[in-house]
Amino acid sequence: MAVIEVKNLTKDYHIVKKEEGLKGALKSLVKSEKKTIHAVQDLSFSIEKGEIVAFIGPNGAGKSTTVKMMSGILRPTKGSVLINGLDAQKNRKKVVQDLGVVFGQRSQLNWDLRLGESFELLKYIYLIDQKKFEENMEIMDEILGIREIIDIPVRQLSLGQRMRGDLVAAMLHSPSVLFLDEPTIGLDVEGKYAIRKFIKEINRVKGTTVILTTHDLGDIQELCKRLIIINHGVLMEDGPLDEMVERIAPYKTLVVELYDDKSVSHEKAELYSKEGNVAKYRFMKKEITAAQLIQDLSARMAIKDVAIEEASIDDVIRIAYRQ
Amino acid sequence: MKTRSNRKAYLYIYRVRILKSLAYRFDVYGNILMQCIIMFASAFFWKALYQNADRVQGVGVDSMLVYTVISTMMSVLFMTGVEQRVMDSVKKGTVATDMLKPVRLFGMYFFEDLGNITALIFQNMLPIFLIGSFCIALPKATTIGDFLLFLPSMIMAFAINWLLAACFSMWSFTAINMGPMLQVKKHVIRLLSGSIIPMWFFPGWLASVLNVLPFVYIYQLPLDIYIGKCDLEDVLPRMGIQFGWVCVLFILFVLLEKRVTEKVLIQGG
Amino acid sequence: MIKTIKHYMRVTWENIRISILTTLEYPTNLLGWLLSNPIQFLVGFATIKFVVAEFGSINGWNYGQLAFLYGLAIISHALSMIFFVQGWFMGSYVVYGDFDRYMLRPMSVLYQFFFTGFNVIGITDLIPGICVFAYGCIKVGFVFSLYHILAILSLLTGAVLIRGGVYLIIGTTSFYTKSINDYGAYTQELFDKTTMYPLSMYPESIQFILTYLIPIGWVSFYPAAELLGIGDGRSAGQGAVWITLAVGILVFILAGLYFYRGLRSYESAGN
Repeated sequence: MAVIEVKNLTKDYHIVKKEEGLKGALKSLVKSEKKTIHAVQDLSFSIEKGEIVAFIGPNGAGKSTTVKMMSGILRPTKGSVLINGLDAQKNRKKVVQDLGVVFGQRSQLNWDLRLGESFELLKYIYLIDQKKFEENMEIMDEILGIREIIDIPVRQLSLGQRMRGDLVAAMLHSPSVLFLDEPTIGLDVEGKYAIRKFIKEINRVKGTTVILTTHDLGDIQELCKRLIIINHGVLMEDGPLDEMVERIAPYKTLVVELYDDKSVSHEKAELYSKEGNVAKYRFMKKEITAAQLIQDLSARMAIKDVAIEEASIDDVIRIAYRQ
Repeated sequence: MKTRSNRKAYLYIYRVRILKSLAYRFDVYGNILMQCIIMFASAFFWKALYQNADRVQGVGVDSMLVYTVISTMMSVLFMTGVEQRVMDSVKKGTVATDMLKPVRLFGMYFFEDLGNITALIFQNMLPIFLIGSFCIALPKATTIGDFLLFLPSMIMAFAINWLLAACFSMWSFTAINMGPMLQVKKHVIRLLSGSIIPMWFFPGWLASVLNVLPFVYIYQLPLDIYIGKCDLEDVLPRMGIQFGWVCVLFILFVLLEKRVTEKVLIQGG
Repeated sequence: MIKTIKHYMRVTWENIRISILTTLEYPTNLLGWLLSNPIQFLVGFATIKFVVAEFGSINGWNYGQLAFLYGLAIISHALSMIFFVQGWFMGSYVVYGDFDRYMLRPMSVLYQFFFTGFNVIGITDLIPGICVFAYGCIKVGFVFSLYHILAILSLLTGAVLIRGGVYLIIGTTSFYTKSINDYGAYTQELFDKTTMYPLSMYPESIQFILTYLIPIGWVSFYPAAELLGIGDGRSAGQGAVWITLAVGILVFILAGLYFYRGLRSYESAGN
């Protein structure tokens, strides 16, 4: 059975249209015109146990709204979300007992007190028994080294340390589903590495299903086999990363360094960039092999060096957003 | 991130918010509502008290109602934003750069307050006057002479109130959190200046102590003059003391401003 | 059921502990309010005392009785500040999306809203309240029989629930207006003026409103009048202390229902 089942999920916002000036203000007192914004439209997908899924889209695409509906914070206008077969709108307390949620830009930790106090409180809120609590702290310490910082007041932690604290806070009650909303935002290389390692580890050790939204392509490349792309509140793409690359950007790039600046064209490859002695050819994998292309080109010009680049994930995303 | 979490931390300081809406945001309608609650409550309070008495301390119920309406109207003129402005500027750490600007910092705050009050005369004082006149009593001065004396006394009262606020605002440079101190000041002025309860009801010893302090010269003296409570021979010396307080506070203000400016510019904020 | 109660009690205890620790992180803050709040109420009461001393009484209440009334009003105000002050700031919770976290935890959202942070500083209001009340009790020669103790507990519980309920109702409007306005100052002014003086000094129409529509009269006036045996003007007579408790529970239940209705249109932040 799917861990998360999203069906025809739709969210509309009504905003009051404000007219300018005194006349508009008076008019709105009597009758306010409402404008409907379709933040998310008719989204359907399901997520299996143990998957790591990246949820991506440009700013304002409806990612956060979708995640908030999936975790039960927002009421869908239409459609439903089932987590382990339960609807969060009807069984909120039961559903959230099995959810961990981290908002990258908002901490759930108590700003003024030592980090450990926040964990203590969560222990009582989620009714975690002492044995389980210690066990989880042990695992978290192994992955994130949380004990090093547990006695420091949260306001004195660095952003990366605080994010580690937030991840532990979200996992203390051993949820089977973890939502991460931009978990690596603003972090340095070290911080990002720690977070990614954590996600991979809990997914491996505990089989936690992870859904993350991100703008960081490194996150996607390292963590996710599956990608869901939304734009303007509509599902654009859903599938495994490699397959998506194969389908959306099925080309490679041949970078050629020449002895002089004379380059030639090829009927099966597009010369799309030329700077000094470096020429870049884009070619379809199924039309010509790289070896063949190099052979053809080297016959007609003086090649010093070659490199082959795969279509990058940001190409895929850029194309998908444009659709 | 930081300001958001700080906001959480400071949630507990519940009354600071009151100050913000009162002194800083000048929340217009809210303030009318609030002033009217105070005005009506005071009016009914006096009416109830005067049920069994004609005149107390030489003052009748009608004068007390005029007193209430005028006092409420005056309170609009005594709204200051300077404390909040200084507090914000210190908190945000922009004091040093603000002080280096070619305009004198407190001069700027003074004119901001003056501008706000000018707007509030129409937005707040006028509605309060209309509501008070219709529902409580037409706040008519006893004689033209009283009204003419009231004006200079009112100007000096305004000066005392603003200078007190400005001097007080310099606390921000020392105390970490001025919120509670501001509340103390607000309540002391409200209760010991005669704005709600006139001085003449206070026991003699307390009244004589208060007559030396500046607070009664903010509300009590102009109000006394307005309702014709005291004679000219009595008023003039008191206006003299009032003027004295304006001078003292002005000197204090200049000294404090100098000290604070030096401190900020040397330490760099 | 018992398990649930135990769960909430344990978390409440933990929340109290954390609130105290948090407050102690800012000791100057606490000291400031420790000075400010007692001054406000003690000076406030002193001025009333001077006036009433001059006139003898107000609507048949002498100043001992007024102290009794004023003291009760401050005590219930202080308790409502400790438990329910969050209601004043609902607007910012709505606008900044602070309910998100509460929706994600397996406890009642309303419980978390009020009890995640206890306002320990509210205790600074309790001090002047108890002082003025004790003064009033001595002046009127109030006898603390078992009945009276139960009656005072009942009326205080009711009064705090009425206040909390009103804060909650006013706060809940933010779900619809989506504005950050904080009505705390107005609410407090209204409560101060209507609970610290005898309600009977107001015109009939206002008394009617404050008895039946916005039941502030029950916060201090009716129960104090019963305990002191003052029968002036509109009086509820016997049993007012218990009616206060009932009114408090009713107001709070209605406020809670209204809150959960409002929460349905919660939109989180950033939209």
